[in-house]
Amino acid sequence: MGSMGEGELSEELEFAWGRKSGRGGLNKGCQFYKSFRYDGLEYLLYDCVYLYKDGEPEPYIGKIIKIWEHYDRSRKVKVLWFFRPCEISNYIGDEVKVVENELFLASGNGVGLTNINPLEAIAGKCYVICTSKDRRNIQPSDEEVQMADYIFYRTFDVKQCKIIDEMPEEISNIDITFLLNQMPLQRPGSNIGAFQKPAGNVDALQKPGSIVDSPQKPGGIVDATVVPSDKNLPKENPAVKTDQTCNELDDRPSKKAKLHSSYESKDCIQKVRLISDGNDTKCLELKLDSSYKSKDCIQKLRIKSDGDDTKVLAPTAPYTDDAKVSAPSKKRMPNEKTTMVSDGKLTKESAIWSQHQNHKIDGPELEVTRRPQADKSKWFAEVGSWEDRLRYAHQQGRLVLLQNLDPAYTSAEVEDIVHQGFNESCKAKMIQRTAFSSPHSGQAFVVFNTRQTAEAVVKKLEEGCLLLSNERPLLGKMGTPCFPEKKPKFFGHIVIDKLRSQMPREMKDAISTSHCSQPNTLEYDMALEWCLLRERLDLALKRFYKEQGLQMRKLMGKLKSKKSLRL
Amino acid sequence: MGTSAEAEYAAFEDKVKRTVYIDNLSPQVTESVLQTALNQFGSVKSVQFIPNYLGPSNLAKCALIEMEHAKQVEGVILAATESPFMISGMPRPVRARRAEMEMFDERPAKPGRKIVCSWMKPNDPSFADAMQLKNFAKKSFAEADLLLEKQLQEEEKLAHQQQDTLKTNYKKYEMIDALLADGTARRLARRYNMNVADD
Repeated sequence: MGSMGEGELSEELEFAWGRKSGRGGLNKGCQFYKSFRYDGLEYLLYDCVYLYKDGEPEPYIGKIIKIWEHYDRSRKVKVLWFFRPCEISNYIGDEVKVVENELFLASGNGVGLTNINPLEAIAGKCYVICTSKDRRNIQPSDEEVQMADYIFYRTFDVKQCKIIDEMPEEISNIDITFLLNQMPLQRPGSNIGAFQKPAGNVDALQKPGSIVDSPQKPGGIVDATVVPSDKNLPKENPAVKTDQTCNELDDRPSKKAKLHSSYESKDCIQKVRLISDGNDTKCLELKLDSSYKSKDCIQKLRIKSDGDDTKVLAPTAPYTDDAKVSAPSKKRMPNEKTTMVSDGKLTKESAIWSQHQNHKIDGPELEVTRRPQADKSKWFAEVGSWEDRLRYAHQQGRLVLLQNLDPAYTSAEVEDIVHQGFNESCKAKMIQRTAFSSPHSGQAFVVFNTRQTAEAVVKKLEEGCLLLSNERPLLGKMGTPCFPEKKPKFFGHIVIDKLRSQMPREMKDAISTSHCSQPNTLEYDMALEWCLLRERLDLALKRFYKEQGLQMRKLMGKLKSKKSLRL
Repeated sequence: MGTSAEAEYAAFEDKVKRTVYIDNLSPQVTESVLQTALNQFGSVKSVQFIPNYLGPSNLAKCALIEMEHAKQVEGVILAATESPFMISGMPRPVRARRAEMEMFDERPAKPGRKIVCSWMKPNDPSFADAMQLKNFAKKSFAEADLLLEKQLQEEEKLAHQQQDTLKTNYKKYEMIDALLADGTARRLARRYNMNVADD
């Protein structure tokens, strides 16, 4: 993101309206626009954007379908939502295959289709490509699909709660051609071509008066009626009420409020159960929570009035400034919700818990048992692929790398150890061994609920010493995962470009898969060079790990014998 | 419950035996490429790439390939060790090994294993020893990372070296070709009274 504001709210961020398109609304009080410039980026009608809401682990993704300035000078955008597969996982049958970066465009009529949001809730552009084979869709090239952050080719009907393969004629009174790929394709940060879009008769295609007719009228007051589902977000509500600058939060109509109401109550019960299944110290914590909460709010407000921290809207730092990122109006999904609601609690718990810690866990050896199942089912409902979750957890500082585990431990056992040792829930995954990894100690990535928990765990491991079976001290540090690059480098496969151009066509088109090299070729000689190098490195690695194993056993043995002497 | 866990574990052990681990793979290798490559040794049941979340990011890919019989695994390993076996590219061959349990993503816990954990008191007499062990483990991980980085560097070096050699060789052959084609070779032979086989 280009400029960073340094004051109250979005006013500090660069902003300029683009092309006007018409007036409408009550007494023609609203000025509609086709584009605007915000925080260094040009946004056009039908661009896809990220919208952040504080406390949410993942940004929402939507398509801007209307831009206007309200008669009270507030800037609004109407957003047609995309659903992540995890958000509607309950409605995706087992037989439906979902691509990793697939989204579903909202369709049909009902809650969750669109929302009106403050323009400032936009946190950046998102590059979404429609891969539908629909004839109205301009087919994207492979490269475009490769570059895209997300793709979509199906819609999710919010009324029927069903995935629909065909594109409808129109969604939310907007002709479908505007929602599919357009000429020129939108690209993140592409400012050129911004005004070349065939946006000419956009508004003509929308039914007259659609804004006024839409279920969510512009303005915060009306939307407040749809809020009930947010009642059980105690952490936020006070802040919303008292915080004037944050009044965008008010128009937080619930996306899919109806669909999930049953879930929410269930989650609540579960949450309570979870908290009560510990010992009595937990009750204490529960009480303390509330006091913490109000403190939290006050703190938030103070930060506000200080007004000297910068506004960060970049997608990489959704958490850094939770008070200020305006809330897009979209209700969280049930599984996310539990995590969220618990967020505040868990943090506090850990804070208090660490005080109790010393005399609570010290001393006796605890056998690691299965964690209570209650939190397993919903708390960490599988959301997205593990890689995505690693990425988000890393961005938000919730990722911890545990080291020096027994390599034989399974992911579930690591979760149990964390539960036993820290009394925290987490999602863990052992790093799979390869020929390069140490045979003596395993590592695991662990995703915690909140950044505070993660940091507390790392700190405790740094200062204290959690001994696992066989006198093995656990190590922990904040995780920095490495992700495959788009164009990974690989050494050792050589192609002579000139030769290729001389090859007969059949040979060029043929895809070579595999072969054993014959001893009388140049290729064979080179291959042997590779084998030699590999053996050498292998030997080095083996010797290194052998040495490591010896040392470790020696140190562990020392520890063990001392212990047994005392007993 | 106990017996079903044991049965699951036994089934998993069997699966491990039927699986071959292959590394030094190019990032362009896909599941289907591996499948066709190893189908010559027996039928491939499943292919799973091992993600590399710890880096370095340019480390060659590795995969687990489950075959139908444990014997076929031996076949793959034998073929790949006796002569350089290449998959979708040359001259860097792939390496095949027996799979190990810890390489798998989803695996059942060993039945009957008990894990204990305890926080050591800072005033415990052996606390210092434990800390020493911790530091040693930390150091080992750092060293292992370094070793891998070094390995990548060596690989890059060899790749460049080979590329250069190949280029030079190619240039040489091209030059000879050109000399033969435009008759320079024959002219020179006549000039120096030498016999050049004309084939």
